[in-house]
Parts: sequence; structure tokens; C-alpha cells
Amino acid sequence: MTTHPAIELDDIVHQRVRLGILAIAHEARRVEFSYLRDSLELSAGNLSQHLGVLENAGLITIEKGYAGKRARTWVSLTKAGRAALAAEITRLKLLISLVEHP
Amino acid sequence: MTSHAAYTGNDPHQLLTSIREHARRVRMTQRATWFPLLVFAALTFAAIPAYRLTGLHPGSCAALPAGGRICTVESTAAFVYWPIALVLAYAAIAAFYIRRSRTRGVDTPVRPYVIAGIILAAAVTSAALWVFHHPLARYDLPGLPGQPGLAGLSGRLATSACGIGLALLVLAWAERNGPLLALAIGYLAAVLLPINFGWVVSLPGWFFVPRLVIDGSVLLFGGIGFLLAQRPWQRAA
Repeated sequence: MTTHPAIELDDIVHQRVRLGILAIAHEARRVEFSYLRDSLELSAGNLSQHLGVLENAGLITIEKGYAGKRARTWVSLTKAGRAALAAEITRLKLLISLVEHP
Repeated sequence: MTSHAAYTGNDPHQLLTSIREHARRVRMTQRATWFPLLVFAALTFAAIPAYRLTGLHPGSCAALPAGGRICTVESTAAFVYWPIALVLAYAAIAAFYIRRSRTRGVDTPVRPYVIAGIILAAAVTSAALWVFHHPLARYDLPGLPGQPGLAGLSGRLATSACGIGLALLVLAWAERNGPLLALAIGYLAAVLLPINFGWVVSLPGWFFVPRLVIDGSVLLFGGIGFLLAQRPWQRAA
């Protein structure tokens, strides 16, 4: 018996905002906090909470620094983050194919 | 502001669509293809006075298999102007992309392009020096004597224009940019094939003008096309 892919979904990744963060960070390699906030249309506090969840899970790294006098926060995907994103995409495609071709 | 990537639920279709949309928007934000193309177009046109001012120098001579002799003549610009100009251009491109990534909040994939560009610039300069001292290499490819269209290909491979074209292929790969890939292939075709649209300058000392104008025009029109398509002034506003 095969496991239904929905059962294997990772709750940390299978969440629209966190998946969006991973997708953007994957494409950008390194992305600034304000870009994520604007792209995902979140408040700074809300975004920080999601980033905290992903950082605690080891899926992203957060780097703080300065660009001139402005404080900047940069987000990068870890190796585990890349793997988690790839696994989530595979599961989503599997779920879609199961629904469309039961 | 309404995001096209916004979605409301965890429906697999919506999630996959939003992942693709986020990726597409990041790529659009990262791309500044017009900048290197316009920089290299400017360098190519600026090479015309550089070639004229630096003058030509005789290289080596060799006997042709069919009889007669062939000698190389090369402008100093090939060994002085282009190496310096290319390194400065890649430094400017890197600085531009880094500044852009800071203002826009996403890293840009310029590093492989700049590294490849500088390595290729060094390689084509070395190859040009080798060809300069091996006249037969410019005359024909080894083992392919007198084949139409191939004659002199090895000489054209050892040019800075070819290095620029190969580096553009790397940029197309780094940016995952299909239109740039098409332009880079077209540019390399213009560089490597003896295309001059029948334009020959008979003035002594100006024979290189058609080649540089054709190469520079491909870069210039490509750069203008990408500038209009990417419209950097809209995002900067």
C-alpha cells in the first residue's frame, strides 16, 4: 500500500506564506526582508513570525547587516530548505495528478 | 498593491501557480540584460578609433601548402585595448548588478557571468597572440583546408567579440533568459561567420570597420530591445 501524498505534507512548508518565502529565496539566492514583505503582502511582524518558523526548522538563514546607514535583513535558503521546497513541489504535483487521474 | 502571486488557500494548483509566479517575478526583478549589452556595444564602437590610433603590427609569415606565403598583421588594440576594456567593463557590470541587488532586495546572478567573462577575455587574448604567431591558423582550420565558410574560423574564435558572445551565453544561463540566449547565438553567428553584407572598406587602415560596426550594432539593438522590454525606469520609480 502506498502512502497518500497528503499525509506526507510537511506542515512547516505546506503553508502558503512560508512556501512563498522559500520559492522567492530559492530563485533569488539571497533576498531582503522588505522584498519578501512587499511580494507576499505581509506586515513586518507577520513576516518575522514565518521567518522564525523557517529558521528554527533550519530551512533558511537570516543575516543582518547594514547597507550604508540602513539596517538590512537578508534571507537565504539552506540546503535543507532547498530539499524541502523540492519535496513539497513533488508532493503537490503528485496530489494534482492523483486528483486529475484517480 | 495587489499581487498577481497572491492566493487564498492551500490548494495544490494555487500553490504551484504561486511558486511559479513568485519565481517569474524574482527573475524579472533580477534581470538587467540591457546594461552589459549596451556596455559592450559602446566598447565595440569605441574600438574603431582605438584600432585606427594604435596601428597595425606585422607578425609572422608561413608558407602555404598550395604555394605562396601568408603573414599576420594585427592591431595593437587586440592586445592592449580589448583586455583592458573588457576587464573594466566586467568590473562596471559587476558593480552595477551589486548596486541594483541592494536597491531591489534580491541578489542577482552576475558572478558566474563576470568570472566567465574575465576568463574568456584572458583566453581569447592568449589565443589571439597564438594566432598572431601562427599565420596558418588564421588561414584555415587544421584538417579542413579551403572549406567555404570555415576559412579563418579559428582566427575569428580568437577574438574579443567571440569572448563577449560566449560570456553572454553564460549570462543567459545564469538569468535563465531565453531571449538573451537567442541574441547570444545570433551575435556569435555574426562574429564567427564571415558576414559583412557585402560591405568592404577600401580605405587603407580602415578594413576592420565593417566587422566592428556589424558586431556593435547587434549588441546595440539587442541592448535597446532589452531596455525597452525590461523598462528599468518603471521599477525604479
